[in-house]
Amino acid sequence: MSDYLLETRNLELAYGPFKAVAGVDLKVRAGTIHTVIGPNGAGKTSLFHCLTGERQATAGKILFNDRDIIRKPSHGRVALGMARSFQLTSLFQNLSVRENLRLAAQGRDGLGALNFWRSVEHKRSHWNTADQVLERLKLTARAETLAGELSHGQQRVLEVGMSICAKPTLLMLDEPTSGMGIDDIPVMTDLISDLGRDHTVLLIEHNMSIVMSISQRITVMSHGQILVEGTPEQVRNDERVRTAYLGEAA
Amino acid sequence: MSNKTALPMGLGRTPALLLLVLASLVALPLILPSATLATEILIFALAALACNLLLGYTGLLSFGQGIFFGVGAYGAALLMIHLKWGMLGALFGAAVFGAFLALLVGALAIRRTGIYFVMLTLAFSQMAYFLAYTLSGWTGGDNGLLDVPRPNIEIAGHVLVDLADPRHFYVFVAVLFLLIFAGALRVIRSPFGSTLLAIRENETRAAAIGYDTRHFKILVFMLSGAITGIAGALYAMLLHFAPLSNIDLMMSENILIMTIVGGTGSLFGSLLGAGAIVVLGDVLSELWPRWLMLLGAILILVVVFMRGGLWGGLAALGKRLLASRTADDKAPAKTKETL
Ligand SMILES: Nc1ncnc2c1ncn2[C@@H]1O[C@H](COP(=O)(O)OP(=O)(O)O)[C@@H](O)[C@H]1O
Ligand SMILES: [Mg+2]
Repeated sequence: MSDYLLETRNLELAYGPFKAVAGVDLKVRAGTIHTVIGPNGAGKTSLFHCLTGERQATAGKILFNDRDIIRKPSHGRVALGMARSFQLTSLFQNLSVRENLRLAAQGRDGLGALNFWRSVEHKRSHWNTADQVLERLKLTARAETLAGELSHGQQRVLEVGMSICAKPTLLMLDEPTSGMGIDDIPVMTDLISDLGRDHTVLLIEHNMSIVMSISQRITVMSHGQILVEGTPEQVRNDERVRTAYLGEAA
Repeated sequence: MSNKTALPMGLGRTPALLLLVLASLVALPLILPSATLATEILIFALAALACNLLLGYTGLLSFGQGIFFGVGAYGAALLMIHLKWGMLGALFGAAVFGAFLALLVGALAIRRTGIYFVMLTLAFSQMAYFLAYTLSGWTGGDNGLLDVPRPNIEIAGHVLVDLADPRHFYVFVAVLFLLIFAGALRVIRSPFGSTLLAIRENETRAAAIGYDTRHFKILVFMLSGAITGIAGALYAMLLHFAPLSNIDLMMSENILIMTIVGGTGSLFGSLLGAGAIVVLGDVLSELWPRWLMLLGAILILVVVFMRGGLWGGLAALGKRLLASRTADDKAPAKTKETL
């Protein structure tokens, strides 16, 4: 057993002749919050698509718990203990907040959810999970509200909350603060560091103050490749990062 | 589903809903001029209910429902004519044929989504029609399959129920309807049914939280095919005849129209939709041969002004009446919830 929960080897995703991910060796240590940053178009979301199974990588390996999962479809990866949230909020808009979470908990049953002769009330464990996650997200008061009627900030929180219902070992969060107002951002920061206590978190994030305050490890991507990897301190002081990323942001 | 419902008088709850169905089943033959007309309504209500499982609960617009209806009609008729199968056996056979055809159509069609899915079901529908037309040795082609029996329910040669009497046949179909309705209600409140809603709402997310959505879609297709097959078989027995129009694209269209007019996402709505369209057709076709034009107009009105269909309209009306009676009407009504 290696120390790494997730490891990619020479991972590649090509859109036609263009390689959005061009040979990435990423290593995520179990129990850490590991953040991927990089300028727009660096290939962060594309890397995520390969990891979640949304897209089939065109070359390379993805090892999860030392097992190559590159051919697993996205729903199959959930059963292994991977879960993700979306950069663009993707909820069940016309279902209640509680039902959104219950469905996410039920998802880990895989084909067990084909059960059509029992009532949903029967599986208490899924409801309990939903209620626990509601508490953790501080959304208990909105449990019966339709997801689409939550404020934008609350929808982002629910978006992240959906990914922990299946009790994954690896949480992959794609820009959880995207589109959030400045007032809501501390809520999200606290939530992510709270989740980091129970899960290994792989995070894509733009907001530098969040990244620097909660990450144990940072990977900087540029042009589909890894530019630098290190602790927040190392990354902050790296000359190449300044030119490629921080320079652009300033 | 959320265990709170916003419908008036607790109609979201299973026992209340089943009571409403039971009351309707009793009322139908009393208010309609003939038991045959009432039977026809229930048969199409079954087909609409099956269509609703796809359209209302899974978000799949299928033009293939006529295939399953037609196959159920031909299948049951042939089993009874050539193999001398009894009533229950023939209905079972029709369900199996319907489910099997739905497996074939579903397995291929769900490889695509959106408009391409719809086009594939259309293509299958066309193929099935011409196949039935060509195999006239079995189906009677253009003339239809004649002399379809309506066997009594017998045990060891003893007639338990004599179904030749249209009123008896109505009761038999009504019992069947109640059973299937209760079964469908159970299904949509199961883990499977709740996952169908998730797929309807957001298929990408459903896959991301662990559901292999293809399996769910194929299974609901088969369920829908089985129920539609039973409806087709009952229709052939009602008419003593299985016309080619059973498997026509028009049949798929009619079933879809009943489903939409009644209200998608509410099983009781399917009974309302079938009732409205069948009665209207019966009344208007006597008065005016071009009544189908009116059907088009009704569909337009419902789609534009009554998004929830007849059921949605009635539920809103009921809620307003309740609200005007109780002084404190707080909690704004939630209409998006499904039963
Ligand atoms: N579906 C696609 N087809 C072609 N090119 C794409 C597609 N998606 C992303 N790209 C390109 O791949 C590169 C990386 O995009 P992306 O992974 O979204 O970057 P990031 O998330 O780091 O901003 C960009 O140049 C983008 O234009
Ligand atoms: Mg991105």
